[in-house]
Amino acid sequence: MSDLKALSEAVIKGDINSARAETQKALDSGNSAQDILDNGLITAMDEVGRRFSKGLLFVPQMLRSAKTMQECMKLFESLFQEGDITSKGKVVIGTVKGDLHDIGKNLVSMMMEGAGYSIVDLGVDVSPERFVEKVHEIEPDIVAMSALLSTTMPSMRLTIEALKQAGVRGKVKVMIGGAPVTDKYAREIGADCYGPDAGSAVTKAKEILGIS
Amino acid sequence: MKPKEIPTLQPRLKVLNRKQALAIHEAALEILEKVGFKMEHAGALEMLTNAGCKISEDDRLKLPARLVEAALSSAPKQIVLYDQRGKEAMPLVDGNYFYGTGSDATFTLDLETGQRRRVVLQDVTNFARLVDGLEHIAFVMSMGNPENVMVEDIYIHVFAEMVKNTNKPIVFIADSGHDICRIYQIACQVVGGEKELRNKPFLLNYSEAISPLHFPENIMEKLIFCARKGIPICLPSGSNAGGGAPVTLAGALALGIAENMVGLVVHQLAGKGSPFLFGPNVSTLDMKSTIVSYGCPEWSLTQAALADMRDEIYGLPIWAYGGASDAKVMDAQAGAEALFSIISSMLARCNVIHDIGFLEYGNTSSLEMVVMANELIAMSQFFTEGIKVNRETLALEAIERVAGGEPGSIFLMDDHTFEHFMKAQFLPVLLDRNRYDSWKEAGATDLYQRCNTEANRILSEHQVEPKVDEILTGINRILQGG
Repeated sequence: MSDLKALSEAVIKGDINSARAETQKALDSGNSAQDILDNGLITAMDEVGRRFSKGLLFVPQMLRSAKTMQECMKLFESLFQEGDITSKGKVVIGTVKGDLHDIGKNLVSMMMEGAGYSIVDLGVDVSPERFVEKVHEIEPDIVAMSALLSTTMPSMRLTIEALKQAGVRGKVKVMIGGAPVTDKYAREIGADCYGPDAGSAVTKAKEILGIS
Repeated sequence: MKPKEIPTLQPRLKVLNRKQALAIHEAALEILEKVGFKMEHAGALEMLTNAGCKISEDDRLKLPARLVEAALSSAPKQIVLYDQRGKEAMPLVDGNYFYGTGSDATFTLDLETGQRRRVVLQDVTNFARLVDGLEHIAFVMSMGNPENVMVEDIYIHVFAEMVKNTNKPIVFIADSGHDICRIYQIACQVVGGEKELRNKPFLLNYSEAISPLHFPENIMEKLIFCARKGIPICLPSGSNAGGGAPVTLAGALALGIAENMVGLVVHQLAGKGSPFLFGPNVSTLDMKSTIVSYGCPEWSLTQAALADMRDEIYGLPIWAYGGASDAKVMDAQAGAEALFSIISSMLARCNVIHDIGFLEYGNTSSLEMVVMANELIAMSQFFTEGIKVNRETLALEAIERVAGGEPGSIFLMDDHTFEHFMKAQFLPVLLDRNRYDSWKEAGATDLYQRCNTEANRILSEHQVEPKVDEILTGINRILQGG
C-alpha cells in the first residue's frame, strides 16, 4: 500500500502526468479504489478548495486540479460497481428558459464536480418542464438554476412553481445564481439558497445538504 | 509680418502598429471562415446563406471575407446623434469622443444613506436629470433595472423615464423585437414621426451577442429592426479575456471583432447604409472572483487597440467604456480606476464611451461617481488639448514686463494673466485644492461627500426643459399598451 501524499500533491499542482502515474502506482501496490478516491483525490480537492477560498489559487489552477482528478479517476472507474462511488450529492443544473448564457453555469458545474458532486447539466434555455422531468428521472439532491439577464429571472420562479405543482419541491433543494440574482430574490421566490459566485455555490451546497 | 501659425499636437495614444492591426483583422476573418458561428434567427440565417455563407454539418455558418469587405464599405463612416430637440449633439467622426452612463445595474448607492440598495424607477429619473445637468456627460443610459417595474416591460419604462427627464441623446437597451417596437414608438412621439427620427436620430441601441460566436434570435430581431429603421446600433459581444474569449488579449480582440463583423454583415444585409457602431467589449474575467472587470487596465488597452484598428482598417465610429470601477464604494480605487479609463479612452480617441458612474463591476450605479467622472473628463480634456504655442502663449512681453519691469511686479497682477488664466489653466470645481485650514473649516470633506452635495444640488436646482403635453400624453398611451 502506498502513501497517497504524492498523489495529493500532484492533484493540487494540477500535474496530470504525475498524478496519473501516482494513481497507477497506488493501484499496483494494492490501495483500494475507494481509498485512492477518498484519501488521495478528494483530500487534494478539499485542500484546493481551501486554498482557493483564501485567495491563494486562481480559478484556472483550481479547474486544472479538478481535471487532474477526473483523469486519475479514469484509471480505476471500471473497478467500481455502478453506484459504488459515493458522491456528495446529485445536482441537476441549467440556465433557465429564455437565457442562452452558459459560462457561469458551466463554471459552477465544474467546481461542484471537482468538489465531489455528480452533475447533470441540462444546458441552456431549460424550461420548467424539463427541470421537473429530470427531477423525476434522477431524483437529485439539488436543482441549480442560472440566469444572466434580468428579463429571464422570472423563469426561476416559474421553475420553482413547476416543481411544487409536480409535488417534488420538498424532495430537492433549490439553488440559484447569476449576475442579476440577489439573496432577497432567492427568498422571494422560495429558493433554498443563492450563490453569489461559483466558489460559494460549492460551500452553499454543502450547507443546504448538511455536509460538513 | 503675420506671426507664423504653429499647429498644436494633441497627445494621442497608439497601441498597435499597422502590422499588428492587420494580423488581428486577418485572425478575425479566419475565425469566421473556419470556425464559423451559431445563428438562431431564421431570417438572418436566410440572408446570410443567400449572400454566400455556407452551413457546416454541425449547423455552424461559415462567412467568407468578401461579405465583411462589402459590409464595411456600405456602412456609414460617420454617424451623427442629435439631442431630443433635433440639435446636433454627437458627431461620431474621426476622434470625437462622448461620455455617457451605463445600463442594467441591479443596485445603486442611495444618495441619502450611502447604502447599496436595489434600483427603483426613481433612480432612472435621477440619473437622467443629473446627466442633463452635467456639462461633460453627453448621453444617458438607464443606469439600472428597477425592481418596481414589471420585468417584461422594464426597458420600455426606463426609456420613457429617460425621455421625460433629459433632452440629451439616449443609448437604450431592449429585450427583443417586441419591446424595441414600443420604444421606437415612444422615440417617434418625441421627434414627431418616423421620418424625423431617421433623419435626426437621438437614440442608439446597445445589444450583445453571446461569446463565443453565438447569435440568439432576440438579439438578431433587434439588430434587423434597427437596420431597417435606420436607428444606430452597436452590437459588442462580451468577448472578455478568459471568459467569453481566450485569455490573451490579441485572441480576445480577434474573436470579438469576428463577432462584431457577423453583426455588421447581417445589419448591412438588412438595411444597407444603416448606421452601425463598431467594437466589442474586451475586458477581462478576473481569475479569482470571475467578475468581468470594469477597472482593469486590459479593457482600456483593448479599446485603444480598437481605435487604432478603426484608423487603420475599419473607419467606423467605435463603442467604448470609461469612468467605472470594481470598487464597492466611491473610494481611492474608484477614483483611480475611473480616471484611468477616462483619460486613456480620450487619448485613444474612442467615440462613444459608456459606463460612466459604475461601481462594483457594473453591478451598482452611483450618482456621486457620475459627478466625479464629469470633473475627471474635464481634467482629461484639458490634458489632451495639448499646449498651444504662439506669441500670446509664449508671453515674452509679459515676461519682460514682470521680470524687467518695476520692482514688485508680479505675474498675478499682469494683464496677460487676467486675460488668459481661465483657459490657460484647468480650474477644478470638486477636486480640492484649498489650503488646509480652509478645507478643515469648510467641513473637512472628502471627494465622495463633495460629489454627494453636488449631485443633490443639481437634482434640486437643475431644470430639464420639459416635453410638451402632447408628447407626454402620447408616451403614456404607449406605456399603457395603446
